[in-house]
Amino acid sequence: MAVAVGKRRQARGMTNERLREALVGYGFIALPMAFFLLFFIFPVGYAIYISRYDWQIFKGPFVGWGNYRTLYHDSVFWHHAVRNTLVYTAFVVPLEMALGLALAVVVNQSIRFRTFFRAAFYFPSLAASAAIASIATYILASDGLFNTILHHLGYHHTNAWFSQQSTALPSIIGLNAWTTSGTVMLFYLAALQAIPVDVYEAAAIDGAGAWRTFWKVTFPLLKPGHFFVAVVSVIGALQMFDQAFLIGTPSGGPNYSTMTMVLYLYNQAIGSIKFGYGATIGVVLFVFIFTVTLIQRLLFGRPEVA
Amino acid sequence: MSSGEHPPIAPLAAAEELVLEGETAKGAPGATYGIPGRERGDRIRTAIAYAVMFLVAVLFAIPFLWSVSTSFRTLADTLAGFSLLPRHWTTSGYHEAFHTFSFGRYTLNSAIIAGAITLSNLVLASLGGYAFARLRFPGREALFMLVLGTLMIPDQLRLVPIYLMLVNWIPGWVVHLGWHDASFINRDGVILIQLVSATSLFLMRQYFLTIPRDLEEAAKLDGAGYFKTYRKVMLPLAGPALAAVGILMFQGTWNALFWPAILLQDKNQFTIPIGIANFHFAYTTLWPPLMAASVLAILPVLLLFVLFQRYFVAGVAAVGVKG
Repeated sequence: MAVAVGKRRQARGMTNERLREALVGYGFIALPMAFFLLFFIFPVGYAIYISRYDWQIFKGPFVGWGNYRTLYHDSVFWHHAVRNTLVYTAFVVPLEMALGLALAVVVNQSIRFRTFFRAAFYFPSLAASAAIASIATYILASDGLFNTILHHLGYHHTNAWFSQQSTALPSIIGLNAWTTSGTVMLFYLAALQAIPVDVYEAAAIDGAGAWRTFWKVTFPLLKPGHFFVAVVSVIGALQMFDQAFLIGTPSGGPNYSTMTMVLYLYNQAIGSIKFGYGATIGVVLFVFIFTVTLIQRLLFGRPEVA
Repeated sequence: MSSGEHPPIAPLAAAEELVLEGETAKGAPGATYGIPGRERGDRIRTAIAYAVMFLVAVLFAIPFLWSVSTSFRTLADTLAGFSLLPRHWTTSGYHEAFHTFSFGRYTLNSAIIAGAITLSNLVLASLGGYAFARLRFPGREALFMLVLGTLMIPDQLRLVPIYLMLVNWIPGWVVHLGWHDASFINRDGVILIQLVSATSLFLMRQYFLTIPRDLEEAAKLDGAGYFKTYRKVMLPLAGPALAAVGILMFQGTWNALFWPAILLQDKNQFTIPIGIANFHFAYTTLWPPLMAASVLAILPVLLLFVLFQRYFVAGVAAVGVKG
């Protein structure tokens, strides 16, 4: 390997050529590295620093864990933002995984137009969330397409789904299960294609039908894929912002029913200009997400698609 | 891919394999294996699969088709009950979106921001990726792990620190570059904080690792320097990776809501998603122009997707499952 060779040469002393190569290397990565240090690594420490101050428009006095104590007693955060985010995650993750897996299994068949179908199922994941959210608002409006269809099926629903407190979050869950299923499908597709063909041949020889083969052979063999998809989906769900912002409007309405953790952070930091408090929420959220990732790493080792 | 050489982000590697090596159909359970009596079952299964796929594809397409249909309606038409196609076809929705609600301006802004970020990612990530893949320098592996480590840092954690840096520090720094009275709570800020991403750098490095060394050796014998080797030998060979990075960055920044929502405050600099959000908050039921704006937001990505489908897969692992 190149690195090993390099080390051996290094032992013989760095020639001019080696020095030049190293300097050019540093030169080529200088801008990106400066960028990552300034806009990624440094902000982690800076966020923690800011969270220890009563920092509104201007930097105020040092308050130690004051912001964290305030957050601990913040009922809007716990009863709405955290609760909604957890409910959202608990429902959207299994839904998008089930839908994504079903799509993956179907488009993994060797049949015609496979590429077209994959593309069709994947596209909602690629379209702008703002556009999808406004289309969904239109379809789920009080006199929208969805209520019209329900009406013809004999079920009368006259409210807009996003503006009713009881249906707003479930509607967002349904919407995002749909838009994220395409991405999940691609992950599962990669995992499915890593299963060797002879496994299916063996199942076929044993006379197992498609349904049985799926549950007894495919599903268990996808175990690493399940873990990976679950973790990525959970991390994504905990960070949900776009639909809450667009559909609930920045205030997370109606009556906080669509308030999520990130939207609350946005409201506190940008809306109310409480930078210290906003940074505190950011740090707590980071710890949340980091813990999820760490637990996954410890329990299941390296995440793998296949 | 050998596991020792690559960083512990297998999904990216897997996605890259999908992109760069094309689709493989191994393991597709629908194939016939020459077992007597299986053929009829397979045919039935295939027919069911077709039916399901077709149905789901239609279901997936309905929201998009419905928005296109509405974008060509009059406002009165949208209130007059269900009809599949517009009763009176009109482009007034688009006209209003463009002129009355400034979506022409927003489209331009989106193109500028997405274009600038894409270009800068291509340049910085290919240079850096080449260095990380090919040039030997002390601390290379550690620095690369640091780059990958940035993928673990969520945007929310960076929101407040970056906002404050853009307000308080950066304008003071760029004065030394001769840029006076700079402000970064605007389009420039959105571009500045996304000049390069770990994902682009990673994808470029992985691709450069797969290019055989012989060509570079030949260039070296011809007396070409490192930059010339990068520019004349490596870049021309890196087409697929450049395409993947370019498409990934363009699609992501074209659709992005988070940083623009934080940094864009002047209406003249709004991107399409921010324009849609604001329109949506202000005029909830003016459907035709809103749907026209949505079509406008979706169309470029759809076009790119139709033309360069396989490169999009790289974005999957990179961005994760975004709601």
